[in-house]
Amino acid sequence: MANELGAKACAVVDSDLRSITPEWIDLLIRPVLHAGYDFVAPYYHRHKYDGTITNSIVYPMTRALYGRNVRQPIGGDFGISSALVTRYLSRDDWETDVARYGIDIWMTTIALAENFRVCQSFLGAKLHDAKDPGADLSAMLHQVVGSVFTLMREYDQLWPHVRESESADVFGFRYDVGLDPIDVKLDRMLRTFRQGADDLREIWALALRPETLQEVMVLARQPMDEGSFHLKDDLWVRLLYEFAAAHRFKPLERGHLLRSLTPLYIARVASFVIETRDLGAAAVEDRIEQLCRCFEEMKPYLIALWAGDGAVAPPGPPRQTAEVAGQGQRSQMEA
Amino acid sequence: MIQTLREVLEKALERLSSQIVTYIPPLLVGMAILAAAVLLARIVRLLFSKAFKGAGADKFLRESGFAAFLPGSVRSGVAPVVVGAVYWLIPLLGALTAVNVFDTRLTSQIVEGTILLFPKLIAAGAILLVGFWLAQFLGRSILVWACNEEIPRPRRLAAAVRVAVVFVAVVVAADMLDFAERGFFSAFIIFAGGAVLTCGLALGLGARDSVHRWLGRNSVTREEEKQLLNHV
Repeated sequence: MANELGAKACAVVDSDLRSITPEWIDLLIRPVLHAGYDFVAPYYHRHKYDGTITNSIVYPMTRALYGRNVRQPIGGDFGISSALVTRYLSRDDWETDVARYGIDIWMTTIALAENFRVCQSFLGAKLHDAKDPGADLSAMLHQVVGSVFTLMREYDQLWPHVRESESADVFGFRYDVGLDPIDVKLDRMLRTFRQGADDLREIWALALRPETLQEVMVLARQPMDEGSFHLKDDLWVRLLYEFAAAHRFKPLERGHLLRSLTPLYIARVASFVIETRDLGAAAVEDRIEQLCRCFEEMKPYLIALWAGDGAVAPPGPPRQTAEVAGQGQRSQMEA
Repeated sequence: MIQTLREVLEKALERLSSQIVTYIPPLLVGMAILAAAVLLARIVRLLFSKAFKGAGADKFLRESGFAAFLPGSVRSGVAPVVVGAVYWLIPLLGALTAVNVFDTRLTSQIVEGTILLFPKLIAAGAILLVGFWLAQFLGRSILVWACNEEIPRPRRLAAAVRVAVVFVAVVVAADMLDFAERGFFSAFIIFAGGAVLTCGLALGLGARDSVHRWLGRNSVTREEEKQLLNHV
């Protein structure tokens, strides 16, 4: 419609928002009209347990792959220029998973990978309707992560050469906001992970290196104690990188691999919740930043796997991550 | 007595020489054909092993998951297997041609039977291979779905699906080879019929209340419509 009307800029917002204000439209459109940006990503305050797919997977991977620090790559609220609209319309992805949960990461990745000018706008709090508990998490993961991996294949001449990430400009005045609490059922998440490890081992073996699979199985066999469960950053990064490589080399097993990620993702979220339950928003952001650096430092491992180098040894944990993880464990024990 | 013995011997020698005259030439020709076939097979093997590396086939087997069903020697590389198959095919064809040279009813039947059976064997083998692959694929799909939906005993469900698909593949392959087709087919009918009956019962018993509510709603709607039209 924007293309038909000849609009210079277009703002897209989620339909279930409760915190949207008229200023959001200005904040999403103004950088396009007056500062020459093509893509305006949102920047919000969210509850530390809201947006876990973003925090655990999409943000760190997008940052490591394409070298741009876009904090909310699948926020659901965007501003886009006419040039970028034309580019989106010229593509033929509308019958794939992109047209469902993958649409946001598709828009962001194209903007980042094809050298469109990208910035972020601070919109305040993101409050939206509670997700239907019956909503299919595995379908969402399948489509979002599947879109990330599919776009990796499309742009695999680009991202192996990206070495560092740089921040995207942020517009808008930042202020603190109150957020709705989010209830998390840890015991159920840990049970789901353990059950998944028992049932899906043969599927995980299609993607994971033996040593990585062994570490996951050892973790699953530990007593599911809410105080001590910890899925290390480097293990999580290795899991995702090995799944990405398997997605590339095993086209007929892609659906199985993506859907089998669900228990692993739930384990990661449980670990994150346990680590951060006594931390404030700033400390949680530091923790996520640490995860992003782990993704970036282990990128050579992804590049080797992507090239089909079966002999590459999994790297050890980055030094900084190991030190801070140790500090995190000690502070939990003291508490 | 000596005369009788001489006559018997002469008849036997005559028959023997007649058999020799009839069968030795085709035997010599057959052996020559077989020797030529073996020589040709060696030459073809040498040329084929240089020309065919099988990288594309190896990649397909790896990515599709077929490699999991194949013996270790095939899994590690398709090229030696293909070259070996071509090598043995040529002498086999040579042997059939050599047997056909004798031109008797028995030899014709042997050749005909072999030639007719060979494509069926290939087709049945392909059906079984595809069946095993499909069983694994569907089994994994069911396993992942059941695990994510927290359905109890997902591995047993997946195993049941695998067994069912393999069974269907065996029935089809047996039908292709005309091997115990009635037995396999009857077993398939019983199995499929039982599965449909089970699903029907489960759906019927489970949806009883929904059907009852739907019927009730429809009858209320008809009553309301009747009342609407009463004034006309």
